[in-house]
Amino acid sequence: MSDQEVFVRTFRILVLPALVVASSALVFGQGAVPTPAAKAVIESKAPAKQWRTPWGDPDLQGEWTNATTTALERPAKYNGREFLTKEEKVAKDEVTAVERDTRAQPGTAADVAGAYNSAWFEYGWSDGRTSLIYDPQDGKKPPLTADGLRRSKLRNESIRTDGPYLGPEDLDLYTHCIVRAGLPRLPTAYDNNFAIVQSPGSVAIVQEQIHETRIIPLAGSNNAKPHLNPSVRQWLGDSRGHFEGETLVVETTNFNEHTSFEGATKNMHLIERWTRRTDNTIDYRFTVDDPETWTRPWSAAIVWYKGGSLFEYACHEDNVGAYGILAGARADEKKMAEKRMGEKKAAGK
Amino acid sequence: MQKLFTSVAALVMLVSAPVAAQTAYRAPRLAGTTQPNLNGLWQSITEANWDLLPHEAKAGPPEFGALYAQPAGTGIVEGDEIPYQPWALAKKKENFANRFVRQNTDGVRLEPLDPEAKCYLPGVPRANYMPFPFQIVQGNKKIVIAYEFASASRIIPLEKVGDAPTDSYMGWSQGHFEGDTLVVDVTGFNEKTWFDRAGDFHSESLHVVERFTPTSANSMQYQATIEDPKVFTKPWKIEFPLYRRTEKNAQFLEFKCVPFADELVYGHLRKK
Repeated sequence: MSDQEVFVRTFRILVLPALVVASSALVFGQGAVPTPAAKAVIESKAPAKQWRTPWGDPDLQGEWTNATTTALERPAKYNGREFLTKEEKVAKDEVTAVERDTRAQPGTAADVAGAYNSAWFEYGWSDGRTSLIYDPQDGKKPPLTADGLRRSKLRNESIRTDGPYLGPEDLDLYTHCIVRAGLPRLPTAYDNNFAIVQSPGSVAIVQEQIHETRIIPLAGSNNAKPHLNPSVRQWLGDSRGHFEGETLVVETTNFNEHTSFEGATKNMHLIERWTRRTDNTIDYRFTVDDPETWTRPWSAAIVWYKGGSLFEYACHEDNVGAYGILAGARADEKKMAEKRMGEKKAAGK
Repeated sequence: MQKLFTSVAALVMLVSAPVAAQTAYRAPRLAGTTQPNLNGLWQSITEANWDLLPHEAKAGPPEFGALYAQPAGTGIVEGDEIPYQPWALAKKKENFANRFVRQNTDGVRLEPLDPEAKCYLPGVPRANYMPFPFQIVQGNKKIVIAYEFASASRIIPLEKVGDAPTDSYMGWSQGHFEGDTLVVDVTGFNEKTWFDRAGDFHSESLHVVERFTPTSANSMQYQATIEDPKVFTKPWKIEFPLYRRTEKNAQFLEFKCVPFADELVYGHLRKK
């Protein structure tokens, strides 16, 4: 069985039944005949192997990638189901392998402007599900609150795709090389690599993009301490961890207002869970709770696969992309000003 | 002759007595392993980030009064001298003179050279003596050193890995233990980092061997041998202690300085 199959099977065993049991309990009451999925709960077993550090903690250490083409939210065409058919998954992976690797006509702008091929991208593959979100059951983020909706409209209006780039503040966080994205980290087109190193009382998660390390103090150790004072906000928040059985549970608060995961406020409360499933997979889940933005908490699962060793991703150093965007915007303005001057002169004649 | 060697050996032992005394301390083990436990939040207390060599206090930008003046320091370089090749000593002075934004005679802006001012990844060994804490997370197979400055991170494998795939700011580290000392061999550097604010520099041929030796529950001795045949006439050494941050609420925090450097790096491209 592939790691992917193990993940999907585990997902079916652990998550689906919980939902089915919950709903069947509502519909049928306690005495309902177990559905096939619910039966799997009874059959489910912990992984045959336990991974342990020399000091006895569950061992998640290694290099991992969360690359996948499975979307965060379920596309409408999959409404009503959580899993792709075997044929659909094959077809989707075929698209990733072939269609995304085509080259534009050599010598055209499309051949050089952002023309990356599969040698560059690391999309990963479909994990067999129709969405990363599993709660709510429809695979979509829950409805926004009134304030969440208002902020989302403001955001849409202020999104600039082509300037004016008045200064570096107008660069997005990634182009500006401050962070790749806020937490939790969703898969992107490439470089989805993480390294986990553990010590007694601490977990370090190195994020290859863009080279920062999350240091997570563990409860019950010498490193245990309360969250930072609410006046101290960080780009990656303030994390505290503990083990629940085989699972590392990390709770993060104290975000700043800039990272805004999927439109959340800085008061977002994030809970992440890492559970080793096989030698080569970790079952990673997160729950985001931000009552100012969504009408209820929501959760997603992403499989982390064994990856290769990380390399330094220096981003801000000689950031020619950022220089080019700002210098280009100023050059455009200059050109426009010259054109207007020319028109004025012509009109004055 | 034999006698001469013996006396030289005795002399060497005498000279290295302070180090021997330091190694007499035996650190607690990383549970379940034979490794000394180096975990924790550490920081140096030196003035080397301003200048590795002995230096007097100096004024800062006058508009800020005493705020950004430079503290005096006795230096961390063995023998108080960096063995530059003559051209390289001249370049160090040029680096310092051109550390901030300048204009050439045609009024064209010239890029500021000081990499710390621009919030560039600080390199090794410098990251260890910048005035910021760093966290060591020591696993049984790999060690992570996370630095607050610019979120610089190093992964130090204790099992043999191959050569650096390509050059980088923080270099390519390979670690092993010699007794209680963590020895890290660092290669694969680019030529873009400086050792301090005084313009001390190196080429892409830099090779650093670091030694972290526990000396008490709350201190380590740090030594580094620095070698770069393109820039220096011979290898040279630095040494200073690292101290554990022992405050109850001590914690690794972020110093993501990119936005702080915006004006220096991009100010000239801002809409006027």
